Amino acid sequence: MTGTPDAALPPGTREHLTSPVTQAALRIQNSITAGTREYLGMNGFVELQPPLIGPVTDPGCRGAKQVDVDYYGHKYKMMTSVILYKQASLLAFDKIFYVAPNVRLEPLETSTTGRHLVEFTQIDVEVARASREEVLDIAQGLLRHVVAHTLRESKVDLATLGRDQEAFTALLEEDFERMTHREAVSRLQGLRHGQSADAEIDWQGERIISEQTNRPFFIVDYPKGSRGFTDGESSTEPGVLRNFDLIASDGFGELCSGGERTHEYRRLIERMRETGENPAKYAWYLDLAREGLPPSAGFGMGLERVTRYIAGLDAIWQANAYPKLPGIATP
Amino acid sequence: MITARQLPEDAIRARAREGSAAIFPDVAGYGRSLFGADVDSGIDELDRARIVPPVFVPRRLEKMFDLAREPVYGDVGLSTVLGGFTAPSPVFLCAFGSTQVAGSGLGIAASEQAGRLGMPMVIGENVVPMHGYGRMGESVEDGLLGRIRAYAGAVPDGLGGVVVQQSTEDADAEVWNLVYSDPSATELLETGRLAFELKVGQGAKPGLGGMTVLSRTAAVEVAEQYTVDEAFGRDQAMVLRSSSPGTFTGEILRQQIHLMRNNYPRARAWVKLHPGRDVGEAARVAWAAGADAVTVDGAEGGTGWAPSVFLDQVGLPLVECLRRVGKPDASLLVSGRIWEGARALKCLAMGASAVGLGRAALLAVDEDATEGLVRLVRCLELELRLLASALGKYDLADLTPDDLWFPGSSARTEHDG
Repeated sequence: MTGTPDAALPPGTREHLTSPVTQAALRIQNSITAGTREYLGMNGFVELQPPLIGPVTDPGCRGAKQVDVDYYGHKYKMMTSVILYKQASLLAFDKIFYVAPNVRLEPLETSTTGRHLVEFTQIDVEVARASREEVLDIAQGLLRHVVAHTLRESKVDLATLGRDQEAFTALLEEDFERMTHREAVSRLQGLRHGQSADAEIDWQGERIISEQTNRPFFIVDYPKGSRGFTDGESSTEPGVLRNFDLIASDGFGELCSGGERTHEYRRLIERMRETGENPAKYAWYLDLAREGLPPSAGFGMGLERVTRYIAGLDAIWQANAYPKLPGIATP
Repeated sequence: MITARQLPEDAIRARAREGSAAIFPDVAGYGRSLFGADVDSGIDELDRARIVPPVFVPRRLEKMFDLAREPVYGDVGLSTVLGGFTAPSPVFLCAFGSTQVAGSGLGIAASEQAGRLGMPMVIGENVVPMHGYGRMGESVEDGLLGRIRAYAGAVPDGLGGVVVQQSTEDADAEVWNLVYSDPSATELLETGRLAFELKVGQGAKPGLGGMTVLSRTAAVEVAEQYTVDEAFGRDQAMVLRSSSPGTFTGEILRQQIHLMRNNYPRARAWVKLHPGRDVGEAARVAWAAGADAVTVDGAEGGTGWAPSVFLDQVGLPLVECLRRVGKPDASLLVSGRIWEGARALKCLAMGASAVGLGRAALLAVDEDATEGLVRLVRCLELELRLLASALGKYDLADLTPDDLWFPGSSARTEHDG
């Protein structure tokens, strides 16, 4: 990481926008979105414009509050992720993606992780009838392509930020390791980090494990009870989810989450109850599922997180022009 | 007019006259009366049990070794850890839910006094959907935030904690997410004094969701979330609002608890069960999934509104719940007509870790808004000390069912044979 002074909090708007660090980071981000569109376009994906509000949104975000919208007297939500719409969109096309803005009122404790923004953008990818392994390959291919594209197009900006291109040699040359959640837990416990076997890898654990490697890696097979109802459960190993996280090396932490989706009506109802959800509010989505949604797999890759990783920034707010940190009222 | 003395003629005639309004308590009492099982309904074996001090008291001798003097009732230690919180005595304040009685300022007064006592406090489900949270121009007075602030402003360092319930309908209002990210809950969170309670059911109406009585205008605002029923007749000003009971299986309960622990790693996880026939199994599932406490509300419990048939004839009495759960190696919290030391001690002897005050607390606060609950709890604590010391026990964890005698149970005679 670059060691930019006082990365804890963003400065004022003028200072932030006129900073050479911000400008370099935002140009690198431009290169990342261009590389994303190039890669996904080459592979037959259709880009759709994301919905911003809806009667419901993705409930699977740990501890984060949703933003309510008064929609002609109906209670609507700002998108915390467009996952439900991604599944629905497969009724039109087999391979789709969004560059989608999201809002999550994250717990206050996340304001200092360096990895959480209230308002952020996801590269949201979904593929009909794909397995998790197929989307792991797509996620790896996408990240590699984006890194190669950026190293080529943003040499000056990377140099301004002092980012060493050697940091990506292993990423570009070797396949990303795939370890199960169980293996990640035992690795962390071996490093004397008290990681729960039933929960997501906590933020500190994610950082610790990500400091141990020279290239991004996948954690797969999270336990049920650690994720929302959209994450599909294994049909052969009950209690194990067919999902994954992509974790960056060198302590940059999670870049991307995804997996196979729950899509069958009865399973959706069961999984909604297991995650404490009231099926009544998902009426439009359940109606579609009752008539049939294609099985699918996909992922959401955090644009600011990928920017932070490639640019080697200390904090995620440096990758956003108008950063909003949890609990801090800024424009 | 015909008569039929072998039947409850008046009740039958009331139904014929009033329709479905007759299966509920008199709606005119709503907002002033607290509801629950009839004292005379005959289910309260716990009240009929007697506390039976022995002649020989080896634990008193042990205590005398510690003290080098004769132990007295003041030597009974009441301080305990319940559901992850440190409490000065094994007593907590139950949820009042959104019942109108609790919303009329009594909830705030009870919160302040509970805080002063350092006693853990549960804030009921549906408070946010019905009374709001207390942010962005909503009235703070009746909202969740008002209760949290009243409590947090009075509670001594290191004691107590706030427990926020959420039921299926609350999930729409995201009560837990709201509290977990609100600056006013930060201090409680940072000192380990915030818990979330998953409400599976309640004592007054086992198998049903929460119920309150609303005016027609208030009902329109919540009609998207709740079932609203003209149970009292089309010509009545009031309607019945019901929550769904929520669907649970062992797997659903287990996974909901896992998700609570995953999503709110810094808050404690509590689970509240109704007095169902499988309460023992459900409690064990909850603890195994990582619940810090299980609260069981006996069929005697309840503050809100319930159909009379549920108050009188549905659910296991508290004592039978205690038998089915057994003495766990975990926090078991119970409630149901608790107000004084004897019933509290009987519950502890049957395996409970602590007892909850519900209707009694509301009555106490109604009697004296600044000191009523404090005085009620002090009385209960003194009785607990007197009773435990009479049993020759100075640590409440030493209480066992042997300390109780239930009428009709076989006499234990020492000279048999």
